[in-house]
Amino acid sequence: MKSGQRNHWLGCLVGLLCIAPTALAQTPALYTKWENFTTANGMPDAKVFCVAIDGDRVWAGTENGLVLIENSKVVKVLGTADGLVNRVVTGIAIDKKTGDLWLATFGGVSRYSGGTFENFTSLRTGLANDIVYAVAIQDDILWVATTAGINKLNLRTGEWSIVSERTAPMHEPWSYGIAVGEGKVYFAVWGGGVLEYDIAGDYWKPYTDPDGEMELVLFKNQGLIHIIVSNISYNHDTKMFWASTYFGMSGYDGHNWYNYLSMDSGLASDFINATQTRGDDVWACTDKGLSYLNFKTNTWVTYRPNQKTGHGEIVITGPDKKVTTRETPTTLAHNYILNMTFQGDDIWVATAAGLSHGMHESHKEGKTNEQARNGR
Amino acid sequence: MKEASQKRTIRSMTLPTLLATASVIAMGLWPAGTSKAQVSGTATGAVASNYLTPTEAKFSPDGAKLYVVCEDDDSVLVVDARTQRTLGRVKVGHKPRGLAVSPDGKSLYVANEWSDTVSVVDAAALRVRQTLPTGWGPVGLTTDKPGKTLYVANSIGNDISVLDLATGTELKRLVSLRSPHYVELSRDGRQVFVTNLLPHLVSPDESPVSEFVIIDTQKQTVAERILIPGVLELRHIAEAPAAQGGYLLVPLMRPKNLNPLIQVANGWILTHGMAIVRLAKPGGAARSEVTQILLDDMDYYYAGADGAAFTPDGRYALVTHADAAMVSVIDTGLLRKRLQSVSTGELPNRLDSAREFVVRRLQTESNPTDVEVSPDGRTAVVVNRLDDSLTVLSIPGFQVRSRIDLGGPKEVSVLRHGQQLFHDAKFCFQGQFACATCHPDDHIDGVAWNLETPQLGRDRVANRTLRGIAETAPYKWNGHNPDLETQCGPRIAKFLFHSEGFNAKQLADLVSFIKSIPLPPNRHLAEDRQLTPAQERGRNIFFQKACDTCHPPATHYTARISSDVGTAAKYDTSGLFDIPQLDRIYEKPPYLHNGEAQSLEEIWTIYNPTDKHGVTSDMTKEQLNDLIEFLKSL
Repeated sequence: MKSGQRNHWLGCLVGLLCIAPTALAQTPALYTKWENFTTANGMPDAKVFCVAIDGDRVWAGTENGLVLIENSKVVKVLGTADGLVNRVVTGIAIDKKTGDLWLATFGGVSRYSGGTFENFTSLRTGLANDIVYAVAIQDDILWVATTAGINKLNLRTGEWSIVSERTAPMHEPWSYGIAVGEGKVYFAVWGGGVLEYDIAGDYWKPYTDPDGEMELVLFKNQGLIHIIVSNISYNHDTKMFWASTYFGMSGYDGHNWYNYLSMDSGLASDFINATQTRGDDVWACTDKGLSYLNFKTNTWVTYRPNQKTGHGEIVITGPDKKVTTRETPTTLAHNYILNMTFQGDDIWVATAAGLSHGMHESHKEGKTNEQARNGR
Repeated sequence: MKEASQKRTIRSMTLPTLLATASVIAMGLWPAGTSKAQVSGTATGAVASNYLTPTEAKFSPDGAKLYVVCEDDDSVLVVDARTQRTLGRVKVGHKPRGLAVSPDGKSLYVANEWSDTVSVVDAAALRVRQTLPTGWGPVGLTTDKPGKTLYVANSIGNDISVLDLATGTELKRLVSLRSPHYVELSRDGRQVFVTNLLPHLVSPDESPVSEFVIIDTQKQTVAERILIPGVLELRHIAEAPAAQGGYLLVPLMRPKNLNPLIQVANGWILTHGMAIVRLAKPGGAARSEVTQILLDDMDYYYAGADGAAFTPDGRYALVTHADAAMVSVIDTGLLRKRLQSVSTGELPNRLDSAREFVVRRLQTESNPTDVEVSPDGRTAVVVNRLDDSLTVLSIPGFQVRSRIDLGGPKEVSVLRHGQQLFHDAKFCFQGQFACATCHPDDHIDGVAWNLETPQLGRDRVANRTLRGIAETAPYKWNGHNPDLETQCGPRIAKFLFHSEGFNAKQLADLVSFIKSIPLPPNRHLAEDRQLTPAQERGRNIFFQKACDTCHPPATHYTARISSDVGTAAKYDTSGLFDIPQLDRIYEKPPYLHNGEAQSLEEIWTIYNPTDKHGVTSDMTKEQLNDLIEFLKSL
């Protein structure tokens, strides 16, 4: 939106600021083998909004139902005829204790348990709005991100409460994402930045962009890169949250902010739908491919299909900004990435044209890395 | 026979039992606030009696002892299975309902419905070793096979507490809809089964659907929810031995609630039977399969199918009929033939089935709620809830061998008599149902009925609770019955039972009992009765919106008149309906006169389009949530 207004020297400053202190010139393991699940092999719709892992089972939310994949096959497609509250499944949360699936949809919330659905709508329950983007489980609390605010459902008592601009420090009620941290829950709020809830203290704290709407970083630790936050994730290893915005990506460790823009990093695009993170890994789901950041080494890798060849393209950007590329015979189903998640060392990626499974090939890692370094 | 068994039982009361009973009465140890206390203080001419009200029994693993949980006595009795003498008694929590014995026989676990706890009892010392908190309204329970985990059905919370017995902590709660009731561990220990008393919330134009839950004990998660159509009041669970097919037998009721109840005179309105559940096997059917089969005869019905047990060899199964004071003995070989000869689609409505496989009907005492077969397979024991006794049956002869008097009062008080009448289906044409059949646990059955109007689908009304209704006259949704005497007397005789009904004495006793039915504790209200911030905000809204005009606090939140709040459906004769009391409103879904509101929210989000049921269209969703939190505190 405002790319033409950017000052280049500021962008360079961003690049300097976002280099992790212990950056080493190491190339991470690459995903060179992909399998895709599309409408051609059982998916009910091209657009996949979300994906969640339950052991060997992979659940995907699409624009036309919920999908279960096992052993590399679509084994179940569940829709409104099966009891799902709405066909558009935008978010999945698995209650690790009960095994139940909680589903965010464009028609309310569904709980899938023991093969049946129970539905929660704004007419029948205390749900603030039926347009739901995300759900998350925090102990016995279900958090729900809706267009009319954040809902909290106490699963023990059945009490619903609503957090909105009327009751919490949020500019807008429109909420997109939820991440459960340690003692805190974080919310991505469209136009409202990141909202932090302190569980023990029962209070809310906003993080907003101090420079207004500019997708620029003026000085170190200035704060969130932009208030239009599309999603959020929490890294339990580094105790950081990572916020995706449509104008860059921000990480926060409680003291320092780490902001990234495409113009001075390996980030594929500033339009980011979601982030996921664990260990030193930060993944950004952008409209131009799936970008990976090794936070420790400040090494970037972007995966995307080559529109001309149909093959995969891997772009590696080292901490020294040196760019190398390589081609892979298989690749992501599409370069518009909506979300992703981890299954052991594998990754699953929700795209606009199917669900992609990036398979970790430990026996090929050494060779792959070597090839990558050589630019072959 | 009864006199002889009574004499035997009096002799069988041991000195410790007599002393314990006497001392408890003398010391006034009966817990305050129980139905007992209220019973003796409420009924005119009622005898102040402290009945035991045995609900469920379990044998010790070696079969030497029988443990009997007594809900009105807040205790568990221990009976010597050989001598049939009471060996001891241990007080537990309030209103105990369910009982489980640890695999090693050293511990008893007792679900205390009104305390929201499980008492862990040392089976040898007969003392409570530990009290574990659970969800709301614990009733049925079982341990897993190693005895390390306890599964507890929370009837009010609509969930199942999974408790770690080593630490006494609750690991998780699994959802079970609605009003989970009985819990049974599979013979191989891999699964736990849970029945639900009330059906899912559905449109009043639909038949009920009830849920049967299967839990994977390894993962401690719900593996399958089986939805059984056309039924409600799933009760006990019995598993056939593997050699006999390993199927489950679950007593249930099949109501034809969409038909005008006037058709009771034609039979076939309320039928009683069981579900035969064939479990999904690895590599087999993806989901378990269910067949329903009736236990009624063509010209007489056996209401309140409840307890169930197989003989060890699986050749016979026994099912109690709590509202018919009867036990049916089923030849499982003949049952199998019947299941094979008639299609699954036809069986649920065939009244000619039972004669093919029920080989004996045995009379019991009042309200037989449970049956247990001894480990040696030589006897079966039936728990007579409203007779404070056990009926002992011989196997395989299936004769009534004796009656074990558990030591309750010898006289039948007004209230106890009324309670027995409440559970007696013989007053209904062909014994189709008793009051309790549609008011399980003195509450609701969760469905709407076409009660009095002969036209199909006209004036359909939701079942209403009987808890705490003494001061809420008039009765019926149309408010036409000024008192319970009218409601339970000629009206029931004419419109429901299609029989001569109760005589004057019976009616008086029945009404006394109904008036004595207490309200359960409120789980949404803090012990100190302080409202939460949301409840406080909701309270302000309640009065600002003048809800108290029709729901005044001083009279159980009902003005005791009829009002038209715009909820009349297309086929309702009138839009005037009795204003319901709001006490424990959260326990009573569905709502409105015909049960079309499946939640409190829907009363206003869907069924108040013209603001006739209070001006609520200007309320925010936050305000509505607060109002509902307040209503739940009443």
